[in-house]
Amino acid sequence: MIRNFSVIIFCLTLSSQLRAGTAEVTMPGEHRALLKTHCYQCHNADKQKGRVRLDDLPLTIANVETAERWQKILNALNAGEMPPEDEDPLPNDAKTEFLDDLSNLMVAARDRLSDQGSSGTLRRLNRREYQNTLRELLGVEIAVGELPADTGSGNYDTVGSNLFMSANQFEQYLALGRQALDKAFERELMADEERYWRYETEEISEKVAKHVKWQVDAKDRAERWVAAVEEAAARPENAEIVAKLREQVNNHEEKFRRLWAQIPGAPSPESFGFETVENNADKAHAARRSYWLPYHQYYLQQPHIDKGMYLALQSEHPSILENGAITFLVGWSAKTGGKWPAGNYVIRVRAALTGDGTPERRFLEFGVNPRGSQALSVHEVTGTMDEPQVIEIPFYFSDTNAERADRSLYIREKGTHDHYLITRLIAKEGAKQMEIGLGRPYAMWVDWAEIERIPDTDRQTPPGLTMLDPLPLDEKTKKSMPSVEEVRVALERFSKEAFRGRDPGEKYIDGLIGIYETRLERGDHFVSALKDSLAIALSSPMFLYLTEPSPDQKTRPLTDIELATRLSYFLHGSQPDPKLRRLAEAGKLSRPDVLSAQASRLLDDPRSRRFSDSFTYQWLGLDRLDFFQVDLQKHRRFDNGTKIAAREEIYQTVNYLLHNNLSVVNLLQSDFVFINAVLAEYYGIPGVTGDQFRRVPLPAKSPRGGLLGMAAVSLMGGNGEETSPVERGAWVLRKLLNDPPPPAPANIPQLARLAGQVLTTRERLSAHQEEAQCASCHRRIDPIGMGLENFDAVGAWRTENTYVVTDDNGKPVAGKEKTWTIDPSGQLHNGPAFDDYFELRDIIAAKQDDFARGITEGLLEYALGRPVGFRDETLVDSVVEQAKQNDYAFRAFLDAIVTSKEFRSR
Amino acid sequence: MKNRRHFLKSSTACIALPFLESLGFRRFASANPTPVTPPKRLAFLGFGWGVTDESWCPDINTPGADYVLPEGLKPLQKHKSDFSVVQGMWNQFSVEGHAGSTWWLSGANKFGQPGQSMHNSISADQVAAEQLGMHTRFASLQLNCSKSAEASGHGPGLSMAWDRNGKPVAGLNDPVQVYHQLFSKDDVPLEEQQSRLAEKRSVLDTVMENAQSLRRGLGQDDTEKLEEYFQSIRDIETRLSKEEQWIGVARPEAPVIEPRKGITGKEEVRLMYDLLIAAFQTDSTRVITYRQPGGHGFLESLGAKVHPHDMSHYHSTRGEKLAASQKRDLTNSTLLAGLLDRLKATKEADGSSLFDNIALAYGSNIRTGHELTNCPTLITGGGAGIKLGENIVVSKDTPLCNSWLTMLHGVGVKVERHGDSTGILKQILV
Repeated sequence: MIRNFSVIIFCLTLSSQLRAGTAEVTMPGEHRALLKTHCYQCHNADKQKGRVRLDDLPLTIANVETAERWQKILNALNAGEMPPEDEDPLPNDAKTEFLDDLSNLMVAARDRLSDQGSSGTLRRLNRREYQNTLRELLGVEIAVGELPADTGSGNYDTVGSNLFMSANQFEQYLALGRQALDKAFERELMADEERYWRYETEEISEKVAKHVKWQVDAKDRAERWVAAVEEAAARPENAEIVAKLREQVNNHEEKFRRLWAQIPGAPSPESFGFETVENNADKAHAARRSYWLPYHQYYLQQPHIDKGMYLALQSEHPSILENGAITFLVGWSAKTGGKWPAGNYVIRVRAALTGDGTPERRFLEFGVNPRGSQALSVHEVTGTMDEPQVIEIPFYFSDTNAERADRSLYIREKGTHDHYLITRLIAKEGAKQMEIGLGRPYAMWVDWAEIERIPDTDRQTPPGLTMLDPLPLDEKTKKSMPSVEEVRVALERFSKEAFRGRDPGEKYIDGLIGIYETRLERGDHFVSALKDSLAIALSSPMFLYLTEPSPDQKTRPLTDIELATRLSYFLHGSQPDPKLRRLAEAGKLSRPDVLSAQASRLLDDPRSRRFSDSFTYQWLGLDRLDFFQVDLQKHRRFDNGTKIAAREEIYQTVNYLLHNNLSVVNLLQSDFVFINAVLAEYYGIPGVTGDQFRRVPLPAKSPRGGLLGMAAVSLMGGNGEETSPVERGAWVLRKLLNDPPPPAPANIPQLARLAGQVLTTRERLSAHQEEAQCASCHRRIDPIGMGLENFDAVGAWRTENTYVVTDDNGKPVAGKEKTWTIDPSGQLHNGPAFDDYFELRDIIAAKQDDFARGITEGLLEYALGRPVGFRDETLVDSVVEQAKQNDYAFRAFLDAIVTSKEFRSR
Repeated sequence: MKNRRHFLKSSTACIALPFLESLGFRRFASANPTPVTPPKRLAFLGFGWGVTDESWCPDINTPGADYVLPEGLKPLQKHKSDFSVVQGMWNQFSVEGHAGSTWWLSGANKFGQPGQSMHNSISADQVAAEQLGMHTRFASLQLNCSKSAEASGHGPGLSMAWDRNGKPVAGLNDPVQVYHQLFSKDDVPLEEQQSRLAEKRSVLDTVMENAQSLRRGLGQDDTEKLEEYFQSIRDIETRLSKEEQWIGVARPEAPVIEPRKGITGKEEVRLMYDLLIAAFQTDSTRVITYRQPGGHGFLESLGAKVHPHDMSHYHSTRGEKLAASQKRDLTNSTLLAGLLDRLKATKEADGSSLFDNIALAYGSNIRTGHELTNCPTLITGGGAGIKLGENIVVSKDTPLCNSWLTMLHGVGVKVERHGDSTGILKQILV
């Protein structure tokens, strides 16, 4: 009893020490005993085996050297190297506690030692801010995939110290800036351009009819050829040779006729119209079989094929029919009006349900490049044959679509083309529903598909281009060249705009003018020369870096302009808009009420999605969604269309909470979900129609509601095929409970003992408890992961699980299989017990203060652009407290952050 | 500004003369009766996620030449006397079980710098490039896998290389890009090339001017951060002055054909190996690193359906993951054997082979799973006087940097130490 008590006390002190990040990071003194008993003997002042001395090792880690010495101890224990085999082993319980504390201590020490301590605030725009800023400045979208992603360092992508610069990158900025200017000029020149093209799908009917006609004719010719060959073979004078040939091919009919040339008097297949470069006897036989003919004839019997087409499966027909998808190419040639300008387009599809498909077959997917890429969006069809419906799909078309394949747009039935094995499977199943035993009933009919450019007529000229006014933007212009003075003014105005109000100085503009003139001398057109100089501005540090100078490195309040920039990059991921800039210029933004109101305004603006999406992506680690392909054969329902929706659910839910200022605790547990028709179908929630995500109330006892019930979260906690309770448990500790386990340690002996055995997941994981090195972390992680086992690898609810031993080729081994009823019960380490997922969820939801603290630390790091360290403890406390008073409403966190002294000063 | 330019110009002039001479001998080598000593080359190939240690690492109890080649190295059988496996080395500071390459060549401590959460120092190849790079068009060449390096287990970085300031050096991800870098002909007239260089320099001057205005009023921390920008510009200037030296010297004829676009998986490795040889053969560079693929695309090209990271943890389930891990080893060894074939077949001016003049290390900071001790290391090539044909077992926890230092010395790079090296590794010398 007493022992237990001391453990709990100790845990509290340790975690509060680590968490509260008091100035010192100290290993609890009681562990000294373990070192004394087991280590000092060989590692002391006189004897230093392996050149390691431990008796003088400080318990407090105050510098890198001490950290390295403790790290060595951790390494040696983890690797099982110490104590050596001929010495007494450490008692398992004490070792587990020691390792648990030490590994957490090392994390805290690393944090403490890597804390930047000072207040450097200069940072480069990260990749996404760079892209957003160019969009705001020039009104165009550019592909930034070649730049470093700025994520993956374990920090948010706003953390300045991780945002590097290299020679390569500088050259990329130069090229991308030039590209952006090209596009911006072009878009401005093409602002009023209209483009429109409609594909009438009934074209396909003619093709089917023609193909059917050909097949009927070919079959007839093939029959006649076969009859003629048989006739020749039956001639008495051929009996001997025919017998010989038949024996040669084991009496196989078709193989026999392949040898027609050796039968005197037999006609050639060519003479019956089978003329290809291949063996024409084979062609004749194929035509005679005409396997797909009944299905094609079935197509021609359908109503309304004179006005539209039915979507089928890609593999059901020879490719000649092309009705697996509607594919249409966006024009580039003179015939379709020349190259289509970048900009906003809309795609419309007039579609209807035939009533012949099963209920889940009511979704279309849209994408580019039908061969290569996965769909971009999914759309529910509700129209009927009497009243077809027009679906509108917004689409941004850019120069990145220049390749023919990327101009090829498609519409097809959802989930029919994710993987060829699945397509094949669907065709096989579909055939069972058909009297003719072939193909699949048609679920959807499409009248036409069209694409139209939405002219930029109403668009406000982006600020970067406004600054160039009245210079001509057309490289082919015959207008006379502007004077150098005019160009100079334009360069000055543009630079100042790009540099967010900073004055670049005369010498800098001289440089730009110099380059402009050199280009002219070289014979370039003046518009092209202008773009070259502007591209330099877009690669200059005043554009690429956010600065808040302070010569003596002292903390000082931000100027209004700096505050506007910081606020805007926080909530919009780009430069301040004119309204914010005006307030800053008038010196009003630093007034707390104005600042709060502006933060609110920015959050109401749709551009705040950039904040909520990129924060959510990094906070919850959503990059994991793209780590692996879902095993579609095992998880048929979780097709790519569903994955798109599942991913979107996380973003949409967070954004919904933000937009309506609801409590973030809804992410732990809620009585509603925020879904669309695709997900409603997947989760089995009735009554949801349409592509829009919306709030849908849940029945009592639903496993959905909150992050843990989201399919995408389940997916991240596995590999797309199986679940990983360890991954899930660690994710919950990290993201929901703000109690991150230390990173997976190096050099721990792998558990190979259980390989190849037929065990339940729980039995397999129990091995973690045997070794102190494993138990020290896994005793926290595993129970939570096991509690989530009712969700399979794609978030579907299950009550049973099966383990199958596979051979080297991934094939199941006969007899090596086990099925069991999932037992999710367990107990949190040093915490409450739970019987099932629902109780576990309640326990987690009750820890809302921890969750709030975690999200606060994340938001602060994201907002301030530096890791949150021990010195920020008071700030974190105060943000959590203010949010708590507002029931953890999402915007309360943001308001507390934005109005904090730390956010308003550097 | 003027002063700096002046310096660059004059330093260019100094370098240019001896350099052109050395180029002369190569060009007219056939007319010269005395054979020329071919230059020494250095290469590092890293494969990210470690190996299947039970079937890749030779038995440590049979050191020397009479060891049995384990299954994972079998494809290298015919070259057995031409490489050594060195066992027992590690980077003492490495703690990241998912980073096979980040600190592999530097031996740095991620947490070595107070106030930083990610520290690195110069990698061995860049040390070599500083000295060997003076003689070639490219000081060094960094090859990269086309697909995500993270999924291949390499860890943070842009390539295998880290510069003197511990900043990542960018690499080339695409064989086509490498080919063009090395062999694309520039048919722009000399004068125009020169004026283009001048234009590029005036661009640099202009952004430097901007950086200097920005620096005014910054505190020391911010100044240090902005220093990265200055450094980038200086790096480009160094590159430009190098380009200037080479103006008028046509890029060599490509000894390989231009690769097709979009090749991935093991074919991508084969292509990169071809280009590595071509780059050395034409003396375009003397130092190459290659961060090899080991992620999804690569495994798919072997017909393995497991997830790369999952595969690296084959230990508890074995089965399919173990099979994939072993297949990956076999493929890598087969590819390496092909590289050795071609290194041996490539003749130098004096009749020796490229193999005789190269020092090549092949390995990873990760042994297997999250194991960071006894890093898998295979050293080959006759260029650095390394003992070949043996299973060399050195004392446990020998710094990897000792072997890098030994290789550096072997190819004539004069440095006293590298990373956490404690000295030359005599056991690996002939």
